[in-house]
Amino acid sequence: MDLNLGANQPIVELENVRVDYPGGVQAIDKVNLEIFEKDLIGLIGPNGAGKSTLLGVILGLIKPNHGSVRLFGEALKPKNLRLIGYVPQKAQLIDTSFPATVDETVLLGRVPGAGLFHRLNKEDHLRAEEAMKILGIDGLKERRIGQLSGGQFQRVFIAKAIVDKPKLLILDEPTTGVDSLSKSEFYHTLSHLNRDLGITILLSSHDIGIVTKLANKIACINRTLYFCGPTSEFETSSALSKLYDYPAGLMTHDHP
Amino acid sequence: MTTLNELMLLLQAGFVQRAFIIGLIVAVLSSILSVFIVLKRVSLIGDGLSHTAFGGLALGYYLDIVPLWVAAVVVVLGSLGITRAIRSTRISSDAAVAVFLQLGLSSGIVLISLARGFGISIESLLFGSILLVNLDQIIIASVILVGVLGVIFLFYKELVYTTFSETQARASGVQTWFFDYLVAILAGVVVIAAIPIVGVLLISALLVLPALTSIQIGKSFKQTIIMSPIFGIASAFLGLFVSLIFDIASGATIVLMAMAIFVAVLGAKRVSAR
Repeated sequence: MDLNLGANQPIVELENVRVDYPGGVQAIDKVNLEIFEKDLIGLIGPNGAGKSTLLGVILGLIKPNHGSVRLFGEALKPKNLRLIGYVPQKAQLIDTSFPATVDETVLLGRVPGAGLFHRLNKEDHLRAEEAMKILGIDGLKERRIGQLSGGQFQRVFIAKAIVDKPKLLILDEPTTGVDSLSKSEFYHTLSHLNRDLGITILLSSHDIGIVTKLANKIACINRTLYFCGPTSEFETSSALSKLYDYPAGLMTHDHP
Repeated sequence: MTTLNELMLLLQAGFVQRAFIIGLIVAVLSSILSVFIVLKRVSLIGDGLSHTAFGGLALGYYLDIVPLWVAAVVVVLGSLGITRAIRSTRISSDAAVAVFLQLGLSSGIVLISLARGFGISIESLLFGSILLVNLDQIIIASVILVGVLGVIFLFYKELVYTTFSETQARASGVQTWFFDYLVAILAGVVVIAAIPIVGVLLISALLVLPALTSIQIGKSFKQTIIMSPIFGIASAFLGLFVSLIFDIASGATIVLMAMAIFVAVLGAKRVSAR
């Protein structure tokens, strides 16, 4: 797909975005965010700060009450969403009793791109094979997804998210519930996707230590986006201390 | 109990052969659709729709126009309403289905009592009469079979993705609302085809049990959706045989057979896991 984007045009632009929960409480407010091609952005903030809400807005899952969202230089529409790969939080990935194999799951990532009335073909299977190789799960393709370890399970969903060669990969809290060995492998994989395959990545996490090592940009959210810039600036800014300094009341675990 | 000789004679009778043919059709229809319904976690949708159909049939008899067509219209409207309620975040989906179930059943009973019976037995609506099926019904059911399978074939990959994860499918640009409605409408069509055969109370069981059984042992989604109709057909045929041998209600026997197969598969799975 030809994107006709200038070198300096952002692929995601949020302008003054506000999302209200039912009942009027603001989940996020006055959020301005620009994501450029090849960025690897870490979105950090405490639980309940609006990280998932912000990702949901970019993915078209949540309609903002105010403000605008532009993807790849255009208004948000299904065609643009096909250029985004999405890996939800682990708890929301899927019911593990779903009777699908690893390769059936990865192939689902090719469904939107194939178009209505077209059956998945050889090309789709080849791409799925490739994606499984990149994630190191090609040996597991016949396995039912319910029989995988936490780390393998996650790799399946990342393979599914990259199988259609997305421009942007969005991961929501990808390391929650993954052991530390899988975690370091996982970050290695992400930087490979970003550097070698040129996929722009946006991931949310509260694991600040590792995210700052990995990401070239950091966005800090606590209802509003109060820092967004290069990781080096973030480390010397007051944003870090602010992040740890939030009032205790905001530490509740009430996700949207 | 029927002797073997009598059973052989029965199997040559036209009405028994028609029962097996329609049993096959309804089993294939309901069991393929059941895979999507169970995995979407809307298993009660069959219950809601079949009771809505009951209300629709009663309305048809009351108005004295082709009851099945009136019921079909009512069920399609019901499936749209149920899906809308399920997709709404304000009402929990099981409560939404319950409301439609109660509305259909009670309005049906009221209409029947208003007309003092219409000369049709509530019992045959509730439990079906597979041994009274005529050629016209078989033709209608065959047309529905081809239509429903055709629609599933056309939208197969989108239906699978939406069933797998509505959120992930929607986030990647799939118009999931359409496929949610589509599954409900197909279920409504199947309910209408099945009511004369297994009745209101039992079609919902056939929209759940075959898939529940095949999900236990399917190694992939493909295997699951292929095995489901096999379990469905087995339930229909074995159920019919047993009901003929013991001269008991066919529809209910078919459902009990589906239940027995589910329990047997569950047991076999436990044993082989040891």
